[in-house]
Amino acid sequence: MNDSALAAPPVQAAAATPPKLKVRDLNFYYDGFHALKGISMDVPEKQVTAIIGPSGCGKSTLLRIFNRIYAIYPKLEARGSIELDGENILAPGYSMNRLRSKVGMVFQKPVPFPMTIFENVAYGIRHHERLSRSEMEARVEQALRSAALWDEVKDKLKQNALGLSGGQQQRLCIARAIALRPEVLLLDEPTSALDPIATGRIEQLVEELKHEYTIVIVTHNMQQAARCSDRTAFMYLGELIEFDRTEQIFTKPGKKQTEDYITGRFG
Amino acid sequence: MSALYLRRRIANWVALALSGLATLLGLAFLVWILWETLRQGIAALDLKLFTKITAYGEDGGLANAMVGSLIIDFIGIAIATPIGVLAGTWLAEYANRTRLGEAIRFLNDILLSAPSIVLGLFVYTIVVLPITSLTSGNTTFSGFAGGVALALIALPVIVRTTDEMLRLVPSTLREAALSLGVPQWKLTCQILVRAARSGIITGVLLALARISGETAPLLFTAFGNNYMTLNPLDKMASLPQVIYQYANDPGDAMHALAWAGAFVVTMFVLLLSLASRFVLSRNKVSHE
Amino acid sequence: MQANDGVTAPGMIQEQRARRDARDDRLFGWLLKLCALLVLAALLGAAGATLWGGREAFGHFGLGFLASSAWDPGSDTYGALVPVYGTLVTSAIALLIAVPVSFGVAVYLSEVAPRWLRTPVASAIELLAGIPSIIYGMWGLFVFAPFFADHIKPWLTNYLGDKPDDGKLSWVAAHVPFVGKLFGSDSPFGASVLAAGIVLAVMIIPFISSVMREVFQTVPTRLKESAYALGSSTWEVVWDIVLPYTRSAVIGGIFLGLGRALGETMAVTFVLGNAMQLSPSLLDPGASIASTIANQFSEAAGMQKSALMALAFLLFVVTFIVLLIARLMLRRLAHKEGR
Repeated sequence: MNDSALAAPPVQAAAATPPKLKVRDLNFYYDGFHALKGISMDVPEKQVTAIIGPSGCGKSTLLRIFNRIYAIYPKLEARGSIELDGENILAPGYSMNRLRSKVGMVFQKPVPFPMTIFENVAYGIRHHERLSRSEMEARVEQALRSAALWDEVKDKLKQNALGLSGGQQQRLCIARAIALRPEVLLLDEPTSALDPIATGRIEQLVEELKHEYTIVIVTHNMQQAARCSDRTAFMYLGELIEFDRTEQIFTKPGKKQTEDYITGRFG
Repeated sequence: MSALYLRRRIANWVALALSGLATLLGLAFLVWILWETLRQGIAALDLKLFTKITAYGEDGGLANAMVGSLIIDFIGIAIATPIGVLAGTWLAEYANRTRLGEAIRFLNDILLSAPSIVLGLFVYTIVVLPITSLTSGNTTFSGFAGGVALALIALPVIVRTTDEMLRLVPSTLREAALSLGVPQWKLTCQILVRAARSGIITGVLLALARISGETAPLLFTAFGNNYMTLNPLDKMASLPQVIYQYANDPGDAMHALAWAGAFVVTMFVLLLSLASRFVLSRNKVSHE
Repeated sequence: MQANDGVTAPGMIQEQRARRDARDDRLFGWLLKLCALLVLAALLGAAGATLWGGREAFGHFGLGFLASSAWDPGSDTYGALVPVYGTLVTSAIALLIAVPVSFGVAVYLSEVAPRWLRTPVASAIELLAGIPSIIYGMWGLFVFAPFFADHIKPWLTNYLGDKPDDGKLSWVAAHVPFVGKLFGSDSPFGASVLAAGIVLAVMIIPFISSVMREVFQTVPTRLKESAYALGSSTWEVVWDIVLPYTRSAVIGGIFLGLGRALGETMAVTFVLGNAMQLSPSLLDPGASIASTIANQFSEAAGMQKSALMALAFLLFVVTFIVLLIARLMLRRLAHKEGR
């Protein structure tokens, strides 16, 4: 692809792993408004890719296309292609079930379901697999352990999840997402509603999870991107300005706009 | 300059005093009505109200009317709740911002204050008349027909609260469930309705409060019955209908019974609206 | 990873599941839509059933049905004028009383009352809205109508009416046109058009005032604050800022109350006196559409039944239009707020 000159040469040279998601010439419209303009990027497998940019730049929109959650609203349209393991997820025939079992998502605000802690994690699994009780218990425990929540909730699995603190709720949401054993994990500003301590725990968790999952995280917090990502994409006004290794972006950005943004001159 | 200032101050003072007076007037009527209902109702309270039926007239009670009211109200709620919850869910989850959805939401608000006596005549036409001709006159008015009439009154209340409560559920909850691959109907039944549960229960309680005092639509549907019956296909007495009948009677003893019935109905309705408020306030606490 | 164990088998299962989910979703959507359409069916059905029931009366009397004040089961002649007139006049009286009072209540509760007092008083007023209309009827019949007959009516007939007890016309009755007729009556009972209008007013005050209070609260604080900053008094803020801003919704709330008043049966039936006569006096008994139906339908047959159905149809159409206007006006404010 010619127009992937934005990101391609330096990044691919440095990339040890093949791309998990290949985005090509992605355009997004809502109600006629051109929200994303010709995005092309390769998201590497089992690494953390951060997307930064001022609010309204389209970073969350891009993330919400990766699992097609946007499709639940009317008047939204994505054109272009996003290949997940070589298959275009935007193709009309691509199964939504399959996509959502492969690509998990965690949202800005923690949204536990109005059920017990155990049920919150088991709920999604039950929809995709038929497991015996003991298998399910093992699976829930594993997910809660991976989300570093097990020790805090193991004695109150039958309690309502709404009783947990904000940070615990967000880790529960991560557990719920990884319980489906997805391959990609999308995090949409996962710490913006949390205090610094809870944020630290989530960042630590992201660090651990990247050994098993391909993670894409949208954040408005540049330090967070610098701390916990391998790659960083900078977006501005619906365009992908620059996409490179994180230390490259934060030390020697290739574009003037990127430099202005990370040095705090705007946004 | 200061004359103008003074005039403005006086105008302000007079207007605000009048507004306070208006509020006092509203409260005075509330107190007056409740006081009379309590005073005359409690004076007429007697055990025979609950043990004897209306067939004994002045020496009787209201037992059959109370039982009839419970049965008719139950039928009304049993019909209106599933339909109302599903219709409200459709408005909030499937048709929000579509033209048909907006139109139905709008018409539902109109149904909410439509004259109940006309709805009674409607049910008379679609339930009582067909049953009469089907059974060649053996069955005419029935508790069931009364229940259908009350269901029509309860329906818009339930539709509206369900719709409003579901729209209060944050959309992130929908996204979170859909991003797990859960289909919409499961999301709706298992998560959204659960999240809005206490709100929906509030709606049902409010609807019950609303129908338990309704009189007009029962006159030509359940009709009334001086004897105790549990069969929903019989003519059936109800408290409001007996109150109506007894209040129109010239005898003082009948009036006392009517007051006792009014007292029971009022207490029932007030308790229900208190209960619905309680459920709703608990819901708010658990949400935040 | 488990998902990678066998690529085809889970894939197939997932496809099947996706198809089943799509089918279930569709069925579920249809079921929901069907239920929602029942709301539409109820409204259309109510209009259709009463029109159908009233077809004989409409066919037999034609447009004259609306203009005739006859209501005589003996000769089987029926006209809608008396009950229509009674419905309109009682509702008009109710609005005349309820609108200023409700406005006062809403102003007091949203601008004047100390904060700690607002919620309890508002709840109390709303309690009034929850009382079943039969209770208003009972209160009207046994408490208010006698009170009205003893204390209000004599004063009105003697000082304003053209049939005073002592036969001497008051200055007002003699000099101001119409007033004498409006308040002249020799009926000894409290039950009358005016008494029914007052009971209706008490009934709709909580409806109108709670709509008004709600819409007053939607006025942006900055708007009010900037008026206060110019030195406006509370009353001036209400009259010049709050009321213009919410005008359409306030009118909507009034129409909502009107819709209630027009269709109300029980609160009116007891205190209206149920006389099928056309009298100019507000102190004479009368009849409304709803009270006529409630009183006569059970024993009616043939043409009388059809005439009652025709009345019900008229009532339904009029309230539908009034409520339609109410909702459209209320909506305007909602749009303004961008809701």
